[in-house]
Amino acid sequence: MAELTVENLHLQYGDNPILKGVTMTLNRGEVVSLLGPSGSGKTTLLRAVAGLEVPHQGSIRIGDKVVFDGSRRIDVPAEARNLGLVFQSYALWPHKTVFDNVAYGLKLRNVGASDVTARVTTALEQLSLGHLAQRFPHQLSGGQQQRVALARALVYNPPVILLDEPLSNLDAKLREEARAWLRELIVRMQLSALCVTHDQGEALAMSDRILLLNGGRIEQQGTPQQMYSTPETLFTADFMGSNNRLPGRVAEVRDGAALLEGDGWRLWGTAKAGAASGKDGVGMIRLERIRIAEGEGDNRLAADLTTSMYLGDKWEHLFALGNERLRAYGDRPLAAGRHWLELPRHDFWVF
Amino acid sequence: MATVASATPPVEVPRAESQWLAGLPRALTILVTAAAVLAPLSLIVYQSLLSAPFFDAVKTVGLDAYAFVFADPDFWSALVNSLLIAAGMTVIAVPLGAILAFVMERTDFPGKRWIEPVILVPSFVSPMVLSFGYVVAAGPVGFYSVWATEVFGAAPWGLYSLTGMAVIAGLTHVPNVYIYASSALKSLGSDVEEAARVAGASPFRVAVSVSLPLIAPALLFSAVLVFFLGIELFGLPLVLGDPEGHLVLSTYLYKLTNKLGTPSYHLMAAVAVCIVAMTIPLVLLQRRLLQNARKYATIKGKAGRIRDLPLGRWKWFAVAVIGAWLIAAVIVPISGIALRAFVTNWGFGVNLAEAFTLDNFRAVFDEPTHVRAIWNTVLIGTVGGAITVACYTAIGFATHRRNDGWSRVVDYLVLVPRAVPGLLIGLAFLWVFLFFPPLAPLRKTIFSMWIAYTVVWLAYGMRLISSSLLQVSTELEEAARTVGASRGRISREITLPLIRHGLLGSWLLVFMIFEREYSTGVYLLAPGTEVIGAQLVSLWQGGAIDVVAALSLINIVLVFIGLAFALRFGVKLRD
Repeated sequence: MAELTVENLHLQYGDNPILKGVTMTLNRGEVVSLLGPSGSGKTTLLRAVAGLEVPHQGSIRIGDKVVFDGSRRIDVPAEARNLGLVFQSYALWPHKTVFDNVAYGLKLRNVGASDVTARVTTALEQLSLGHLAQRFPHQLSGGQQQRVALARALVYNPPVILLDEPLSNLDAKLREEARAWLRELIVRMQLSALCVTHDQGEALAMSDRILLLNGGRIEQQGTPQQMYSTPETLFTADFMGSNNRLPGRVAEVRDGAALLEGDGWRLWGTAKAGAASGKDGVGMIRLERIRIAEGEGDNRLAADLTTSMYLGDKWEHLFALGNERLRAYGDRPLAAGRHWLELPRHDFWVF
Repeated sequence: MATVASATPPVEVPRAESQWLAGLPRALTILVTAAAVLAPLSLIVYQSLLSAPFFDAVKTVGLDAYAFVFADPDFWSALVNSLLIAAGMTVIAVPLGAILAFVMERTDFPGKRWIEPVILVPSFVSPMVLSFGYVVAAGPVGFYSVWATEVFGAAPWGLYSLTGMAVIAGLTHVPNVYIYASSALKSLGSDVEEAARVAGASPFRVAVSVSLPLIAPALLFSAVLVFFLGIELFGLPLVLGDPEGHLVLSTYLYKLTNKLGTPSYHLMAAVAVCIVAMTIPLVLLQRRLLQNARKYATIKGKAGRIRDLPLGRWKWFAVAVIGAWLIAAVIVPISGIALRAFVTNWGFGVNLAEAFTLDNFRAVFDEPTHVRAIWNTVLIGTVGGAITVACYTAIGFATHRRNDGWSRVVDYLVLVPRAVPGLLIGLAFLWVFLFFPPLAPLRKTIFSMWIAYTVVWLAYGMRLISSSLLQVSTELEEAARTVGASRGRISREITLPLIRHGLLGSWLLVFMIFEREYSTGVYLLAPGTEVIGAQLVSLWQGGAIDVVAALSLINIVLVFIGLAFALRFGVKLRD
């Protein structure tokens, strides 16, 4: 059942359109990530759902309750939408203790004092914050503040929880731990969550589904595996993962495969939208899919090694192919000179 | 593990208050503000179009009052004097203020930390008191003039000429320029200056070719501000212009009160409209320039800690210039008052030790009206100031995070009193109390003073409040909205507690300006409404120098008490 439904949402600041017709749903118990480069409208979409931005067209439903409808002039104010929102900066109220921060939403709902104490205590304990109840926000570490912000948003059981870049304020090491912890919490509590992020690794790890936004529109949506392994557009392919790009000319398209030709090389790949015989095309392959081969063979090309970088768990080699550069991972250093690279057909996409 | 989500169903926010009821406090606030600002001003305009005071039975509507005023040569000479003094003080105050700001902000000038509050003293002490200080210190028989005559044979200065007034007005308005120039320098990032130094510019070149050009918008703004304050000048020309009969617009208006023997409200109103016609464009110009200056400042580099430029051999020159200014603008008038308050009389051949007395203070405390004036002044600064800050806060909340037409209306409402000198607002409120009979009982109470003060300082106070409000991050309020708080509850439970330190600071600053205020009370002075500032104007007219000196000193002490508290609590004395 859809907890959140957004239909054909348009939003603009002055003359500057930010959202240009976004449609999406969020089902119960599902984590959906809004992913995209800065300026793609992902945060604006989240804020529009929360009621902090006013769209000018389209509709938003939470459960079966319409909270925004441009044509019927319905706009339920943010305070009446009963959602939970975790801000990027956490936005904890500095003049309230951890307990009071979390309790505020319940007090606003006229929950009795003993009930407030019980529920806040439960919520804090679930997030391992029980011993910090009487502290003020400035006395907490970044990770603790994040958990307080989460407790504050969860304590009154909103049907949907909105997370705005929830991990971006943590330092790199803490972020990976928090990611695992947050995913576990969401699954355990069966939350329905909409999460904004610009970090594709975070989106892949955290979500059941990913919506990739580009310039105010949804470019592609699907499970993390679909988004990563079967991108439909060049933008999606390029945004997810680390990639090599090879511009060339499409010589032939046959049975879902395309032949891309460049200066001194010919490669077969999977034909994607837009690949047409006789036109310019772009080949794309993930870094980890290029194989350094022993010699000439099917779908291989020769390139000169320019330099190698040691990454700890592997090497990253940089090759020159005319004016193009190709990067590939390897598990050992390579000798200078010419090497053969294999680009497997299935992993080489031609757009 | 039991979870919150599965244990209890979602709770919804109860929505008791209707939309209409929720908007009521805001509508009321805007309505009351509009009434308090527009009623007195429209009364001035209305009165200026009548041929006689509005309470006269016989009166016609027309331009008679203007015709009379424009036919009066005194009006034209007052206008010319006003413009000359305003221009003169601008020419003096702007370069001095800019130099002062550069030295204080950017160099290793000795003792900067304690000099800063001293620099601001002339802007906190009542101009009436300062002018009186100049008379007793440097007038023809002032302390310093007498001593100078004994040493050199003659005092090399004349206070009562137009030039004298322009110089004194210029020197005492240096802080106004300093405030804007130094905050512009503060927000000017050190990186642009460091870039110039790395590129090979000497510290002096940096000042001339980078720092000062970049704060040019702020200097231009403060030039217009000082010129505007020059047009409004009242206490200084009243005290210093009197002996040689120099009138400026405000003193011309003040003298009109008695010119015809009968109340000449229509003439005063006509002059008032002329003054406001000059100040409104200046205020609008200031607003534009300030926005411009801010824009300029924020795009130029990142603000950060800057290393002081070594002054080197210029240090003693800087010490001499700043020392001379401090002596002329702070030490001379204040020490004059302090001395005069403790002597019976002063002149050639009087010995300071023999003339010492406390009788001046006894005279003050023996006279019930003076005691009431002191008591009222304290009351209007403390209790009145607190209520004023509460009112300003209410107006602040009426526009906070709202970008609709009403917010713009309030913006301009707040701006209007800025253009009207305190003297005129006091006069207009007097008329309001006479014009609307239901308000008459309030006329003889301190309330009449308080409301006039509150309207006069509306723009200043709103700047304090809104700078506090702007420091509250939007997200803190949005977070409250998403957990279910209505606008009213956010204001009361989130925003208000967060700005309480800012409000405390505003209260202290409002206390200081209310202690300092004098011109607003001139026409509202009545038994029961005495305040020190207005009382001084009236006593000065009556020539009671001893009492004026003692009351002035008491006034200075009150202001300094506020200043001490402000410094103790780390209140920013400027924005």
